[in-house]
Amino acid sequence: MNRNYYFLTAIMFVLALGTLFISERVVSPQISPDELLWDVLQPTRFVTTDQIAKRLIEKDPSLLLVDVRPAAEYNKFTLPNAVNVPLDSLITPAGQEYFGNPGTKVVLFSNDAILANQAWVLLRRMAFKDNYVMKGGLNGWIKTIIQPERPPQTAPETAFERYDFRKAARLYFTGAGVVNSGKSSSKTKVVFKRRKKAAVAAGGC
Amino acid sequence: MGPIAINGLISANLNLVIAVFLGMGFGFVLEASGFSSARNIAGAFYGYNFVVVRVFFTAVIVTMVGLLYLSYFGWLNLSQIFILPTYLPSMITGSVIMGLGMIIGGFCPGTSFAAVAIGKIDALFFAIGLYIGIFIFAEVFPFLEKFYLSGYLGHITLTDLTGIKAGWWAFGFTVIALVAFWVTASIEKKVRKKIKEYKF
Repeated sequence: MNRNYYFLTAIMFVLALGTLFISERVVSPQISPDELLWDVLQPTRFVTTDQIAKRLIEKDPSLLLVDVRPAAEYNKFTLPNAVNVPLDSLITPAGQEYFGNPGTKVVLFSNDAILANQAWVLLRRMAFKDNYVMKGGLNGWIKTIIQPERPPQTAPETAFERYDFRKAARLYFTGAGVVNSGKSSSKTKVVFKRRKKAAVAAGGC
Repeated sequence: MGPIAINGLISANLNLVIAVFLGMGFGFVLEASGFSSARNIAGAFYGYNFVVVRVFFTAVIVTMVGLLYLSYFGWLNLSQIFILPTYLPSMITGSVIMGLGMIIGGFCPGTSFAAVAIGKIDALFFAIGLYIGIFIFAEVFPFLEKFYLSGYLGHITLTDLTGIKAGWWAFGFTVIALVAFWVTASIEKKVRKKIKEYKF
């Protein structure tokens, strides 16, 4: 028997012995710093309160509102059908189940856009896609949808159209003699799919 | 971070190019290890040539141990690699049929093409038979479908099934393989003494 076989056998044995002592590395997906910087600089993640209001009125099933404020503030008031994922529980597995589900667009909001923005950056870093931030947050919501301001006479016609829409939306959301009543409907359970594993290579023998 | 193709480190086109070269390398190694000879392959059954056992065991343990180290160094994400889904009854049946085929025909599908490449006529007939078999299987598949898809266990690994760490499996298989190398070598010696003429 060739002497090389003894060496090869010994090397393979030592290497295999080594596998007993190494731990498997659990890798959480993340994107590169360059990509993150590029995405952070893009304003495309912002959606306006008007867009959200329109989608809410249309009952768009692909829209998921996520309130990133602390639970106490969420319990006081929030947007219709919003779920609560406080910023500090964003990295837990339970908090992440709302994100990255195919066919769902997640809109994050807080009192202003700062907390929501932070949440967005965290999620982007964890390679979640299809997340958006509501511009102006709940303060902006109050200012534009709940208490819309009449545009000046010299404003373009589109401004008046938007004003009309906001007035109608205000009726819709505040329930001033119109539909959408009852507090119970404001917080519904969201059925979500578990986040799929990252893409796997297809193939075989 | 691997797998490089699906994590976008290389383009899909480059992936195809690499696949071609890997295929060539695979074919070359099959031929160079003597897998293009039906006698070598059937020899594992008759006990005079265990090259099949040795080559495949080597491939298995090098890959097993290598993947664990690659994962440890952070070069490969093991949760992203392809794991063949397990259908227990059909897999057992399939491997029995394949084993019979290897003894009777002297090739397995990949090696038959390696042997066709160097002009073996028996391999050519084996390859033709392979396509006939594929055709027959496709035709009777509706009758077999229920059995074919029974006992589905998902994309599981031995670690998922038993809860024993992957390192132990790798170590265990390596020990079995290394023992098998030396045991088969001694069996070969004994059996070959009785064979008057041996060439492949």
